Amino acid sequence: MVNQVPTWLPARIANFIPRQGLLRHLLLGLICAVPNLVDWVADRWNKMDLFDETHVQEAKTNPWYSLGGMWYWAWILVIISGVILMIYYIPETSISFRSIENIQSNWVWGAIPIGAMVRGIHKYGADAFIILATMKCYRIWFTGGYKNGRELSFIVAMVLLIIGMYSGLTGYLLIWNQRALWATKVMATFPTYLDQNPSYLPLGEFINATNQGKTTAQVLLGGTSIGPATVTRFYAFHFMLSFVPMIFFELRVYNRGFKRMNISNWAKLAVFGVILAVAILIPAAQGSPANPEVTPNPILSDWYFLAMYHMLKLQDPYLATILTVGIPVLVLLALFLDRRPETEWGKRQIANWIGIGGLIYFIVFSFLIIEGIADIHRDAPLWYYSMGLFLLIGYFQDWAYVMKRDSAKWWQTFHVFFVVFILLCMSANTLYHYFGDIREWNNSAKALMEQMAGGGAMTQDAAYDLLEKTRPGLNLWHTPAATVAAGKPKGMELWLFHVIGWLGCIVAGTVIGLARWGAKRDAELAVLEAKAKPKAAGA
Amino acid sequence: MQENTRRFLLKTITSLPIVGGSVLAMHAILRFFKPTMVGGITGLMAPPDEAGSALQAVAQVSELTKPWDFKDFIYVRKSVEYSSRKWQGAKIPGFVVRLPDEFVDPKDEKSKYVVVQRICPHLGCTFNFISNSEELAGGYNYKAPPPFHPHFACPCHLSVYDPTRPQPIAGSVAGKAFDKLPGKVVSGPAPRPPRTMAFDIKDGQIWITDTEGGGVG
Ligand code: HEM
Ligand code: FES
Repeated sequence: MVNQVPTWLPARIANFIPRQGLLRHLLLGLICAVPNLVDWVADRWNKMDLFDETHVQEAKTNPWYSLGGMWYWAWILVIISGVILMIYYIPETSISFRSIENIQSNWVWGAIPIGAMVRGIHKYGADAFIILATMKCYRIWFTGGYKNGRELSFIVAMVLLIIGMYSGLTGYLLIWNQRALWATKVMATFPTYLDQNPSYLPLGEFINATNQGKTTAQVLLGGTSIGPATVTRFYAFHFMLSFVPMIFFELRVYNRGFKRMNISNWAKLAVFGVILAVAILIPAAQGSPANPEVTPNPILSDWYFLAMYHMLKLQDPYLATILTVGIPVLVLLALFLDRRPETEWGKRQIANWIGIGGLIYFIVFSFLIIEGIADIHRDAPLWYYSMGLFLLIGYFQDWAYVMKRDSAKWWQTFHVFFVVFILLCMSANTLYHYFGDIREWNNSAKALMEQMAGGGAMTQDAAYDLLEKTRPGLNLWHTPAATVAAGKPKGMELWLFHVIGWLGCIVAGTVIGLARWGAKRDAELAVLEAKAKPKAAGA
Repeated sequence: MQENTRRFLLKTITSLPIVGGSVLAMHAILRFFKPTMVGGITGLMAPPDEAGSALQAVAQVSELTKPWDFKDFIYVRKSVEYSSRKWQGAKIPGFVVRLPDEFVDPKDEKSKYVVVQRICPHLGCTFNFISNSEELAGGYNYKAPPPFHPHFACPCHLSVYDPTRPQPIAGSVAGKAFDKLPGKVVSGPAPRPPRTMAFDIKDGQIWITDTEGGGVG
């Protein structure tokens, strides 16, 4: 939509705004930003869908639209069973493991292990929550359900999924077993890397000085280490995370007279039956009590964190932290970049490939971590490569579609800068891993070092020192002068080529994009003015 | 949309004090979660809490006579806890390793020993002392250069540290600054060598006097 000059804008300022052209649209966009945002949110708020309560009609014929109802139902089951568990569970490190044992084996009714069943329902109900939430996110993604003013439906589903995962993490610690302790430890160490921004980033040092990462970790843990206060806090968060969002949803249902769950009682019974059956067939595991002195090998977490854990193995920890925080942001970015109105599967292949790629990474990473297969040098470039490949395949499919739709010539719709950008990313990542990987550097330089030490030219210590001086940092911009002197400038030159290429693509893409955007707005403006004219003449 | 724009603008203007008030309230809430935080804006920039250390004997010198003798011990550190207890004794596992003479400064008794916290500086797992080259290559993905000597190795993401080699890193323990620490990262994602402990040798025993902070105990 093209922005008009707002009536409240003083004429003195309004006169400065050009009649048309890019500058006009940019200025007006800035001036109207806040009111437009409020408008935008209000509109999305009205169209928001939480648990498919607005899809009652579709759900009758298409089972994919029952996912929301089933999800909410799983949540209710988890809450009911959780509240029952609270009766016997004790949130205190010295005894919580035993209290779970007690729930598991002593709470029986005749031959029926009531406690174990309730615990199983809670645990597998939580798993069902995560599965159904993920499936719903994917349904929205693949059907383009976030388009035409329904962005919030996807965002809220994703946030609820993250809340569910966080519930899982906090609930997991409550049983105070080995896995839980170590999974929590890894999670709590994460935020501390937010204080390790490299100094060459703008504001990097300043952000580090605020200690926000460590403060976050300490707020979560209730102190400087995992202990009794952590369990108390996690217990509180665990409860709150479910109850607060649920109250909001119930209020919305009440205010707008929605049907709470768009599924039949039979469907509810079936969901409950499956969870109960799993709970009876595979009793929830308990593991061994937490022991901070021994790390189990391999450490695994709940299944939905496995893929993320695997990612940690493939990355420098600072990058891995940024990526973990960044994945939802990237998903949102993809969502807002996909601005075409088409929702059909075949007409939006980039989005499809992003979804399929995410699913593939999730499944394969989970498998790899269980099998203990990880090699920073060999695996990471492969994954980056495949990511670029998915995007390229999606792009070319989309391109073919757009050419046909607009019956345009290929150069009119080909976004050369996008393609070059992705290609540059793919090749840069090889460079990064070849020159930047710590272990590989050590392995390849070892021969050199031994040769030098063996030739008697220098002591082993001196050789190690030289090695240390010449190891390229992860930031190839800052390759030490000694590295260049040691005859390794090839990587530098290639890297420079990439950076120039990237900047070129970004600048050229932005300039062309802005010019097109301005022209489009001008055309819209012309249409609006043509419509307004007869009225003005009449008045 | 035109009239709305004006109303929305007014709304925005009135909402500013509300936002300001909420920011102040957030600060109060943050102090509820982290009661050791000082007040005011400076509180948001204040350094995080650190655990306290006290003198503890962890090993006998007589246990560590041969090269590559090592002992794992538990050091109990006073760790801050935001509860009515205020403190918690957090168990910090550690290693003390006797280095072979070639790495020892004969004038410095303490240089015989490498004392580290076993909490992996990557993501906090407890790392091991691996004295078998096959185990290091097979289990931890690191083929050490000959002649082989033992390494510290973490099972979580396979970081490997070489106890004989220092790595530059600036910091301080017990008020003393250091510019490098033993346990250079030779493999895996760890960003730095293991956290260190300050120690003294007295009455044939190794005493821990202070520990390097940071990380999650
Ligand atoms: C307000 C609702 C909830 C309450 C009152 C509650 C309560 C509890 C309690 C008391 C425990 C410890 C007992 C045990 O582990 O057997 C627990 C564990 C757990 N909770 Fe919840 N919970 C609630 C919601 C959720 C939600 C929404 C999730 C995740 C989506 C979740 C996931 C878990 C998990 C994964 C465990 C560990 C169970 C195990 O491994 O056995 N909980 N919860
Ligand atoms: S925690 Fe030790 S390598 Fe990751």
